Amino acid sequence: MSNFFTGLLQLRRGPWEMVATILIGLGVFMLMQPFVLWGFTYSFITTLIGTVMFIVVSHFKE
Amino acid sequence: MSDTPVDRAATATPPRVARKIKGLSDRAIAWIFVGPTIFLLLAINIFPLIWTIKLSFTNFKANRIGREVKNIGFRNYERILTDSDIWLNMQATAHFLFWTIFFQVLIGFTLAYLINKKFKGNDLWTTIIVLPMMLSPAVVGNFWKFLYQPQIGLFNYVVAFFTGKDPSSFEMLGSVQLAPWSIVIVDTWMWTPFVMLICLAGLRSIPDYIYEAAEVDRASKLRQFFTITIPMVLPFLMLAVLFRGIENFKMFDLVVQLTGGGPGSTTELTSINLKREAFEKWRTGYASAYAIILFVTVFGLASIYVKALNKVKER
Amino acid sequence: MSSFSVTEPSDRSKWFAGTLVIVYALITMMPLAWIMLTGFKSPSDAISYPPKVVFEPTLEGYVNLFTTRTRQTEEYLEANPPETWYEEIVREYDMVIAGPSKFGERFMNSVIIGFGSTFLSIVLGTLAAYAFSRFKIPLADDLLFFILSTRMMPPIAVAIPIFLMYRTLGLSDTHLGMILLYTAVNISLAVWLLKGFIDEIPREYEEAALIDGYTRFQAFYKVVLPQAATGIASTAIFCLIFAWNEYAFAVLLTSGTAQTAPPFIPTIIGVGGLDWPAVAAGATIFLLPVMVFTILLRKHLLRGITFGAVRK
Repeated sequence: MSNFFTGLLQLRRGPWEMVATILIGLGVFMLMQPFVLWGFTYSFITTLIGTVMFIVVSHFKE
Repeated sequence: MSDTPVDRAATATPPRVARKIKGLSDRAIAWIFVGPTIFLLLAINIFPLIWTIKLSFTNFKANRIGREVKNIGFRNYERILTDSDIWLNMQATAHFLFWTIFFQVLIGFTLAYLINKKFKGNDLWTTIIVLPMMLSPAVVGNFWKFLYQPQIGLFNYVVAFFTGKDPSSFEMLGSVQLAPWSIVIVDTWMWTPFVMLICLAGLRSIPDYIYEAAEVDRASKLRQFFTITIPMVLPFLMLAVLFRGIENFKMFDLVVQLTGGGPGSTTELTSINLKREAFEKWRTGYASAYAIILFVTVFGLASIYVKALNKVKER
Repeated sequence: MSSFSVTEPSDRSKWFAGTLVIVYALITMMPLAWIMLTGFKSPSDAISYPPKVVFEPTLEGYVNLFTTRTRQTEEYLEANPPETWYEEIVREYDMVIAGPSKFGERFMNSVIIGFGSTFLSIVLGTLAAYAFSRFKIPLADDLLFFILSTRMMPPIAVAIPIFLMYRTLGLSDTHLGMILLYTAVNISLAVWLLKGFIDEIPREYEEAALIDGYTRFQAFYKVVLPQAATGIASTAIFCLIFAWNEYAFAVLLTSGTAQTAPPFIPTIIGVGGLDWPAVAAGATIFLLPVMVFTILLRKHLLRGITFGAVRK
């Protein structure tokens, strides 16, 4: 776990891609969940941030 | 991808060779070769995409050309993302996504596991099982509509045969309860072979010696299954799930032919809903914003997919 | 290998697995077999209750698929006896054949657009794949991801601006427009697959050719292309099947001259509702080529559907 955080601090690709993947997954879940309307409302911005982040961090070094 | 030192060494043309090459430089050739592809994709994919983004901030209607087009900022996005009807369409999509993936993984993995027993003639039967996924989804949807007809359709009759129900007592496509399941059944019929093929590739990628070593350690068959088979197939399974997820999130042709979104809007998946807004109500600006929301979602999932793809490729 | 292998399943488990798989295969074939049978039924047999498994086969569905018919007076029918077997079938309903239906045309559109777009995607795709495989291209990974991601776009989402663009350029409902569109969709698959195939060809072959005084073009043309022939052929079939099956763009962007078969088949109307035998006949004719190609392709199926990630 501590590897994960040092990876984040050193701007490594692996952990940051993980964060972006989780954000995208969360956004997709919020978009389609049947529980709360505000989840649906903020799903797009979550997915968008995740996707942009994914593109940016895939250029970090391994 | 090709980034090993060996590859790099091979790419760098030795100077001795370089001097002898006639004609264009490698760099020029590279651009001549890649150029047309990039140009085509820019013209037919990227330019329209940018146009959609621009339209999504307006109240443009494509069937009223003379009308003044106003820039209305994020209003389209606000309206879509607070619309509880669209939220319901998303839930219908979620139902479709979840259950198709659930059944396809369950049946697909089981089939792959059985085929991997290498019984005689498994190649032939695999090919037969694969056939449905190669067919045109629209035509498949159309003929399943025939199979689902109450009274005259084969499906009701088969169900009646096994359950003793009256074949005209239920309508798969006409009932609010059954319609969402009818599309799940057809999609599962069509795409289980896809999951099966990928699982099979995963199973075949496991080297025999791992099982042999486990046997030496006296691990039970069940234990081998959960500690070797499942973890080794998992990356492949992830790939299959992501791909089916993306494909079914944008599902259009099969379902539009089968139910047309009805009855009511019980099977109105997002793409069908979007088509209504864009090409029946002609709310182009609004539909563009809708399209961008779907696009970003698919693009996000696609980036995860490509990551998974490269992971499997490295094996 | 010892005489006893732990990884070789026992005969009994093989037999068990085989039976289950065959049962599944037979169940999964039932809908397809049913449609093919329906194509040979008469309209009344097709909608009989309960469904008929045994029936008298007729080519009525196929005749109805390819023709348009009109009702005629008895005097006319008596004055003009039927000349061909298909006239005879139609006469049973007091009708005469008025002319060919649109199915032939729509089928040809599918052929033209399918082959046209496949040819273009293969030509452009092979060139691009070769460049990605052999040269250092700046941002190659990003470009490849961009190319692949275009394949993932939801067709309905890009259809709006393409519809507007084609309307402005006069490309809507034309063969050229559809060929360009399908090429754009297929090229991503072509580049990814072909890059995999070309990566597998050793570079030494070309380098030897270059030293012998070939130009890059000659080396590509005379050394790489023949080596990649199998890969190119299987990629072509994948592109062809995609273009053949595509529905969303076809239904939104074509309505007449360039309409392909998938949007057309469901609209075949008979007397009093859908003419199911004719629809089934159309579906059979349309699906059979794909089935044949699938059997030809079986060794490359995985490679095609996973964008080359899984080789075998």
